[in-house]
Amino acid sequence: MTQVGGHTERVRQRTHEGFLRHKGFRWAQIATGLCVVATGVYFFVASRLAEPPSGGSWLGYLLGTASAGLIVWLACLGIRKRVITQGHYSLKAWVSAHVYLGLSLTVLATLHTGFQFGWNVHTLAYALMMLVIASGALGVWAYATLPQRLHGNRGETTRKQMLDALASLDAQMHEAAQPLDRNGAAIVRLSIEQTDLGGGFWKRLTGSYGDCANRRALQQLRALPSPGSAVQAEALTKIEGLMTQKADALALARRQMGITALLEAWLFVHIPATFALLAALIAHIVSVFAYW
Amino acid sequence: MAQTFRLKLITERAAGGDPIVRERDVAGPEATIGRAATNDLVLADLAVDPSHAKMRFSGPGRVTIESVSGLPFMADGKSTSRVDLDVSRHPVAGFGEYRLAFEPGEEGGAVVTVTRESHDHPPSASVFSLQAPVFGRRNMAWILGAGIFLLCLLVPLTLSGIIGPAKIRPDQQWSSGALTKAHSFLESDCKSCHVKNFQAVRDDACLTCHKSSADPTPQFERARSLGSPFQPQLAPEHAAHDKLEKATPLPAGLGAVSAVFQRALGHPTDRCASCHIEHTKSPTPEGADAKAPPLSDKPKLVVVQDCQSCHSQLKMRLTKTELIDTPDWNKHPGFRPLVMTSAAGAKPTFQRVALNTAPQERNGLTFPHRLHLDPLGGVARQAIELGKAGGYGAPLECASCHRRDASGKDFVPIEMEKDCGGCHSLAYTREGGQLKNLPHGELQKVVDTLAGRSLTASPGSDRQRPGTIRPSVFSAGGASAYRATFSRGGACYDCHTVNWAGDTVQMAPVKLAMKYLPRGGFDHSVPEHGGPGTSKAGGFECADCHKAKTSDRASDVLIPDLKTCATCHGQPATKIAAADDADCTTCHSFHKPGQATPKPGHPPLETLRWTKVAAR
Repeated sequence: MTQVGGHTERVRQRTHEGFLRHKGFRWAQIATGLCVVATGVYFFVASRLAEPPSGGSWLGYLLGTASAGLIVWLACLGIRKRVITQGHYSLKAWVSAHVYLGLSLTVLATLHTGFQFGWNVHTLAYALMMLVIASGALGVWAYATLPQRLHGNRGETTRKQMLDALASLDAQMHEAAQPLDRNGAAIVRLSIEQTDLGGGFWKRLTGSYGDCANRRALQQLRALPSPGSAVQAEALTKIEGLMTQKADALALARRQMGITALLEAWLFVHIPATFALLAALIAHIVSVFAYW
Repeated sequence: MAQTFRLKLITERAAGGDPIVRERDVAGPEATIGRAATNDLVLADLAVDPSHAKMRFSGPGRVTIESVSGLPFMADGKSTSRVDLDVSRHPVAGFGEYRLAFEPGEEGGAVVTVTRESHDHPPSASVFSLQAPVFGRRNMAWILGAGIFLLCLLVPLTLSGIIGPAKIRPDQQWSSGALTKAHSFLESDCKSCHVKNFQAVRDDACLTCHKSSADPTPQFERARSLGSPFQPQLAPEHAAHDKLEKATPLPAGLGAVSAVFQRALGHPTDRCASCHIEHTKSPTPEGADAKAPPLSDKPKLVVVQDCQSCHSQLKMRLTKTELIDTPDWNKHPGFRPLVMTSAAGAKPTFQRVALNTAPQERNGLTFPHRLHLDPLGGVARQAIELGKAGGYGAPLECASCHRRDASGKDFVPIEMEKDCGGCHSLAYTREGGQLKNLPHGELQKVVDTLAGRSLTASPGSDRQRPGTIRPSVFSAGGASAYRATFSRGGACYDCHTVNWAGDTVQMAPVKLAMKYLPRGGFDHSVPEHGGPGTSKAGGFECADCHKAKTSDRASDVLIPDLKTCATCHGQPATKIAAADDADCTTCHSFHKPGQATPKPGHPPLETLRWTKVAAR
């Protein structure tokens, strides 16, 4: 990183306040307070309840209503973030509340269950909720740490620049390969046409690109017998250099993709699980009152 | 002029705009095609061989293309190594990404338009983000959400009442917890209790099996048909339901809010299911007796309303009630035994009379307890003389006449012949060396037996041991045996209240109370209550409660007052070793107020199995 880069970084750290420490952890405090109060009330009341603690006691209904309301409100972040609003309730505040109140649900909803679990639709809703929260927690971790890594990886290169560099290397290879015979051309084509930049989720996450076409092309290129003409020999040397450059460019882009995958993966659980949770929540509530 | 190939090379501009078109003629009837710069038509594509093919005119308006490297090319959509084309049909040939379109040219020649079709689309920056066309966030969200909504809600809600007894019960996933062993046969039959959707379980559902009635056969049949392995326990109502409803106040504190809400929402708190909770864990309390029947066998019992909350200021809610308020143990009203005020007539009359007013019971019997229990009296003397062989041998004690029943909790009714006949002879004559006894119990039979007889005994003491005929003052006078027997000195007169209507004898029927306090239970088998076993210090003997030694009349009600109970009940253990709680349930149960509340878990579920019940 250049001196200038380091400077801007320091400035950013001084002025930027992320959603986690928004307003001096206001929502963290509120959520903690909520959990402490709920836990206190639970352990005071539960032993005095006539029936074993469950979602069906008055305390259970109270905790259940609060939890269900929270879940619906938390899910509304998906709508809120698409709406650009003016006023005091900034999206940052909203996200901050989303994170901390969401975490507080682990306590509120667990108390709502009265620690009674089973193989039923009620525990399904609870399990889905915990899955949503766990994936959300992963998201918080990702958002708190990964942008730093992304930045560190790419340096001053933008994503578009990375792609342009790869396209340019391909074009140069194509140009340089024109004098080659069929075998040589096929190797270059392998690198240009078969190289898969990203790949699937696991590939991106684990960064296992052992079968990368460019890599294979480079191996095959080096294994080629000495060409007949000087022109071809010169072309091969040039192409080898280009392929090596391409391998570096690919590695950089793929690291970027790996980190991006980590940054985004949790959403692939968080969002579908949220919808599943909302459906299970409705089933939970309706079924409880259907068979009251 | 000979046939020529006119090449029309079209190149797209990378930045867009009009393509660049270059035209040139190939000298001669033949043109080479390949990647190498030496070719007539140079195709800068790595998929094309350096010297790939040749094209030449093979006739008027006809062109033949032939591979020279052996690598095929495309012609009219097919891969081939040699092709003969009719230019007038505007054929198309393909080499790699290049497309060669033929059309007739001047003088039988051909114009070949060469374009490059690049299939490469440079990736956009979005390639850095995760792509999942099938398992994308949105797809998965809708599929999972809709799937759960359908399978966990709509299917059970709509089909549970329709499918009936099927193997798959879609509503079973709604069960919030297992049923207790007693009800586990209903586990997959939600509708047997949850009859109507969105309506809390009503008592009707419970009472189909548990209704208390004189003939419970229909209830038992219903339980059997549902598959119950156990005979249902019958549960009488504590009081008439409408009265109960009126008499029950709102619970105190937050419970009131809860109750108001529940009533308003159709979930009243006076249902069977309000107290008998299913689908919940029923942990065995700490320190529970390991030998006691497991509590988890039956629905968890929850006290929604305690006794005193209803039995306080009851008249404010039930104006016509005769029940006396019992807000706590210290304010428990004094005992008011149910006393027979008249034994005459077909139906004896009863009245509850406060014990502290020394009620007298008209039971028709003459029996001085004091006389019989006096250790120095004649009765004691006779009992000693009767000896052990006669079942006595010592002054009388309570157990000489009052025998415990099988449970030990109560006593069997007194029987004259067995309990009094040791001393009080019923013999009236000797026939063929055999003593004949009067039949006891039915007046008319006695009268019939004595009709026309004279008493045969010799004069002497009126008190005769059994085995002898009782003499009578009337025998000397030759009065009829009938009159003598019912008159002073006669066999019946000692114990029975006799009246004469002319020459017809009238005798008050004898009815002895089995229970003076029908609304409370008392267990005589408890060691502290005089039952067998070792009693804690401070426990009672019979005489501590029943003042029989000072009672001269059978009409005395000899039960103790509440103070006697309070010597132990409600006392701290520091004060008296036999201290015990003064809980309402000790003497009253909710469903059967005349009995003490059974111990938790009793009767054990297993004793209710049909086979065992049938074998009894």
